[in-house]
Order: sequence, then structure tokens, then C-alpha cells
Amino acid sequence: MRPARPTHHDAARRRLLRGMVAAIAAIGLATPALAEGPWQRLDAARSVLGDAEPNTQGLVLDLPHVSEDGASVALTVGFDGELADDDYISRIDLFATANPSPEIATFHLTPLSGKPEISTRVRLNETQQVIAIATSHQGERFATAREVRITVSGCLMRNGGDQPEPLSNPRVSVPSSFTAGQPEAVRTLINHPMETGLREGADGEVVPRHIIERFTVSLNGETAFEAELHQSISASPYLLFYLSPDESGEALFEWQDDTGNSATHEASIQAG
Amino acid sequence: MNHRHNRSGLTRRQLIKGIGAASLLPLMGSAPFAIGGQNAGRVLVVGGGFGGATAAKYLKRANPAIEVILIEPNETFYTCPFSNLHLGGLRQMDAIAHGYAELEDRYGVRVIHATAEDVDADAHQVTLSTGRKLDYDRLVLSPGIDMRWNALEGYDEEAAEKAPHAWKAGTQTELLRSQLEAMDDGGTFVMVAPANPFRCPPGPYERASLVANYLAQYKPKSKVLILDAKDNFSKQGLFTAGWERLYGDRIEWVGLSNDGRVTRVDADRLEVETEFGTVHRADVLNVIPPQKAGWIAERAGVTDDSGWVPVKAETFESRQVADIYVVGDATVAAPMPKSGFCANGQAKVVAAAIAASLESRPAPEAYWTNTCYSLVGPEYGISVAGVYRVQDGVIAEVEGAGGLSPADASDATRALEAEYAVGWYNAICQDTWGTPLGGRAT
Repeated sequence: MRPARPTHHDAARRRLLRGMVAAIAAIGLATPALAEGPWQRLDAARSVLGDAEPNTQGLVLDLPHVSEDGASVALTVGFDGELADDDYISRIDLFATANPSPEIATFHLTPLSGKPEISTRVRLNETQQVIAIATSHQGERFATAREVRITVSGCLMRNGGDQPEPLSNPRVSVPSSFTAGQPEAVRTLINHPMETGLREGADGEVVPRHIIERFTVSLNGETAFEAELHQSISASPYLLFYLSPDESGEALFEWQDDTGNSATHEASIQAG
Repeated sequence: MNHRHNRSGLTRRQLIKGIGAASLLPLMGSAPFAIGGQNAGRVLVVGGGFGGATAAKYLKRANPAIEVILIEPNETFYTCPFSNLHLGGLRQMDAIAHGYAELEDRYGVRVIHATAEDVDADAHQVTLSTGRKLDYDRLVLSPGIDMRWNALEGYDEEAAEKAPHAWKAGTQTELLRSQLEAMDDGGTFVMVAPANPFRCPPGPYERASLVANYLAQYKPKSKVLILDAKDNFSKQGLFTAGWERLYGDRIEWVGLSNDGRVTRVDADRLEVETEFGTVHRADVLNVIPPQKAGWIAERAGVTDDSGWVPVKAETFESRQVADIYVVGDATVAAPMPKSGFCANGQAKVVAAAIAASLESRPAPEAYWTNTCYSLVGPEYGISVAGVYRVQDGVIAEVEGAGGLSPADASDATRALEAEYAVGWYNAICQDTWGTPLGGRAT
């Protein structure tokens, strides 16, 4: 069915053309305001950065250009830049510049996290910049931002949908075994409405804020990964992160919400 | 700016702004603006679905002097809209089949049954599977979708022969129908639904409905299970209320937050595994995988890293390559959904924009409408409608226009909407391919 692969010449020309388009687009975007970074214009982000001028290389934010459902936008943040041998990324902050409250989440990482990469799902009220700031253990700072256009597709107009039971159905997926020094992905999901405190219920009254505020993972009692969550995290929080345990044992996963309730899940970890 | 005046003294541009592009189009064929002679330009249209066939016809209506060549491999086009009716045993394949006779005989479109295999945008040239090369002044791509094979582990072209997607109508539709007919009573029809964006947002849920309708009549012990990579879907409240009303608990829907996202398919065993390790066994397995723009769009260099085609909102010309216009499911046109109705409307805007650009006139101002009808049952229709226009350079939904079927409609209203759905299908097929109302003359 399909014709033969393009010739090198064709492919090279196409790449060149696309490169030119990208270069032209980049020139168009490189206004002075953006060069200084949207994080400079957001108080919440500046309070994380302090006086530091962040490095804009190394931190990567992956979000769709266009999302048809602002209630749940898949987001991955990861670091592939360079750090001193004894340094590691210890904190990543996410902000939604145009949400009613810009904080999305703060992740605390440890050497047991292994790889600074996290995926989650976020709420974005409207088209806006999403900002990520990473801080290393020794205080180096990295920042990046990405524009996401939010548009609710006509055919996606919905009505109804049930609210999930808070802190129900904790789910954890861990690899069957870890190799020392090899971080592996761990996925977690729990049902929770993550009520923003901004929504009106059917009776016209504002539904009170009710969210999971903290998620903690410990390995044999030692904290390996921690997340502070805000109302811009989608209902039924999903988190994919990495663990790099140095010995076998027990992993404890705990979700705490703002009513003081919590849910836990235990898993045994095989590390060799 | 070259504004020609008509008899009433309005400029053409004012007139177009006043009336809107779509409604003006019927006038254009007989309007005194058409350029005569042989140099009105050549437009190639790749793909003969809702977008391509409409673009070809309306280019000729805009200016019969434009040479329009439609490139489409198949002599018969089967529509995705109403293919769910075939799956549910409510309509024969013949009744969703359309041809190109009217485009050729009535409008003078040249139809070439071949595959467009390459686009050289610099040379303005398309290479066909026959080896022939065709030059163009403007190119319209209406390539539809392709499956992103292996984006879902285990789901490739071979797997689709055992676990059909049936998301392009034709042999895949017939395969899934035959599997459903062969299924024992008591079996489970498992559908894997993708994350956004994908072709026809309400399609999977209409399909589940009409499969449940068939099962209720012929295999009453059987069930439908939808495993969804989303937490919200099109017309969700209307569908779930309809399911409860017509099918009780026959249809089970598992969304993203309840581990509905499938991450692995085993087509040989008819098994799927979700992200958190639940394995579901199917008797008939329908996998609707992640999608991207039809492959020729990639060859033409108009897709971006999302796999879809960014277009200029006003004209649907590619943002990346000049003189290539793209319509339909392949484009990033949200908030317009990936629907046949939208492809048809986008194609009219493209036809008007190309006709204008070939005469060095500015494109008329565009707006669009869309209605998605879905059948929850043969006599139970629901719909969502929208009106769209360009705002600040992007397509925006016009507030207060359109909307959903009421949640509390009577059975009589639902029955009427089911009739409207058939009326809509007949009308848009007549507009696109000239198929007579009520089906193709054979």
C-alpha cells in the first residue's frame, strides 16, 4: 500500500523547510517579555525562585498544544540537564498562570526517587502558560514554560457525571523487581473529587473546597517521594514518578486530604 | 484591495461579510466574477470523503473555469457516520455507500482513482501511485485519519484483523459486524476508547448503544464493556441516561479514573490490560486506537509534532506550507470537532478561499456550524450543535448558539431527533456526493 521511503534528498529538504518554519516561528516569539520568562511575572513562582536567575535549559515540560478538555490535561515534567555529580533535583514546582490560584503542585524528590520525571493530570481554566521550576539540592534553579490552548470541543459538551467517593480505590502499579541504580516508573491513582471550592452545586451553593493535599511514598520508613497538591490537580489524582530503591522492603503510599482523612497502600519492593 | 461592485453598489466583500461565506456559495457559480478561459488555475483535491468531495464540488460552483482534479483510490466511499447502524444491524453497507458520478458528470470534476503518494510543495506537484505527477496551483488535502499503530502496545495492522477498530468505514466495519453476529449469546463486546483528540467524539458511545440494541434483541445474555482513556465523553449525561432507559445495566463504562485506560492489547487472546494491571477478556474486541492525520499530510510536511495539521483559522490553509489547504479530521480545528459535518463546512470555506486567492481577492469571512446526531436506539436520538467563527485568529464557539438536546426530553422528542438524524445524513450526503435522498441508485 505505502510507497517506498523518501530519498535522503527529500527528507533533508523537508527537515530544512521545517527547520526554517520553526526558526521563523522562534524569531516571532522571542519578544523581550518572553525572554525574561513568565515566571518573573507570577508572584507564586518568584517566591520559589527568590533572587535566582533560573537556567532555562534542562527542564522539559510536556503538554498538548491544544487540549479539548481543560478538566484533565496530561502533563509530564522532567529534567535532563546537567548537575554536579553529588547534586540532584530535590524539588519541582508547577504553576498555572491563569488559574484562580496558580499553584498546581510541588514535588519533593530524594536520591531514592532516582529520576526527576513526573506525570500527572491538571486542570486548566483557560488558555495559558504553564510554568515548571526545578530546584536542586545545592540550590541551582531551572525554569521552563509552555503555552496550552484550552478549547472545549463542541462535541465534548457534557452534562452530568458522578463525583467520585473521596479517597476510594487507591491503585498502585510497581514493577515486579528493581535493579540497583535503575529507576523504574511507579504509577498511582486514587478516586477523589478534588473540589476546588469554586464550583456551584445543583442547589446553587458553592461546594466547599475538598482536596488531597499531600501524597507521600516511603521506602522502609524513609521518605522517597512527596507531593503537595493543590486544586489545579484533576479529580482522582494520577501520579507517575520514579523510584530507585537500594534494598528490598516495604513501600508505603499515603494520600491525605484537607479533612484530615487519609488512605494508604502498601507494596513489597524487590530490589537486587 | 480590489473590490468589485455589483449592481446594488455593495462591495463584494461587504456582501460576503453580511451574508456569510457558506450561504453565499450557491450564488457564486452564476455570479459575474468568474474568470473565463483556461487560466483560472488547477486545484488538486486529495481524498474523496466529506471534506474532499465537498471541496471539489464547491470549487467548481465557485468558478467552473477552475480545473479541479479529485484523487481518491476507491470508487465507492463508505461513510463513518451511520456505519454504527450497520454494526447494529439497522442498515446495509449499500446504504452508506457513495460514488463520484455527480462530481464528474454534473460539475466537471476530473476524478482519478489512485493514491496520492507524495507531495512536493516547492514544485507544487503531487505524485500518484500510478507514477503520474500532477502539478497544482493550490492543493486541498482531505486525508482523514490514520491509526497510530503500536501507540497502544500490541495493536498494529495485523492485530486490527482480529480486533477491528472499524474507525474507517468499509471492510473493518463488515469484519466487526460479522464477529458480532458470530458471537455466542452471553458474550462480552469490549470496546477500547481513546483519549482526545480522535475522529467523531460521540462515535464510540453511539456504537456501544447500537451494539447493545442488537444484543438485547438477538443475544440477550450478552454485555457491552467500554474501557475509556477519558473521564468525560461527548454527550455523556444524555448517553448514560439513554443507556439506563433502554438497556438497563447491559452497557458498563469504565473511565480513566477507574483504571479504564488500556495500555496493552493481546489480539490473539482477545485480552486487554489496563494501566493498573486489570486484564479484561472479550468475546468480540473493538479497539479504537490513538489516531493522527492521514499519512499524506505528513508527506506534505503540514503536520506538527502532535501528528495533526495546524491550519490558519480564516482559510484552513496550512500554517506550515503555502498553497496547501487541509480540511476535516486531519486538522487541529478545535473547538470544532472531528466530524463529517465540520469537514463539509470547512471544505466550503476552503473552496471560497481558494477561488478568491486564484483571483487575488481576499478570502470571504468564514463561519461554520456543526451538528452531531447520535442514535442511542433506533428511535432514540440525541444531538449537540455548535456555531463557530474566527476570533483573535483562532476558531471560537459562538456563545449562546447551539447546545445539547434537553436532558428531560420526552420519548416523542427523542424519536423525532432519531428522524432528524436520518434527515441530516441524507442531506449531507446529497450535498457532498450528490447521492439522491434515501440512498444511492444502484
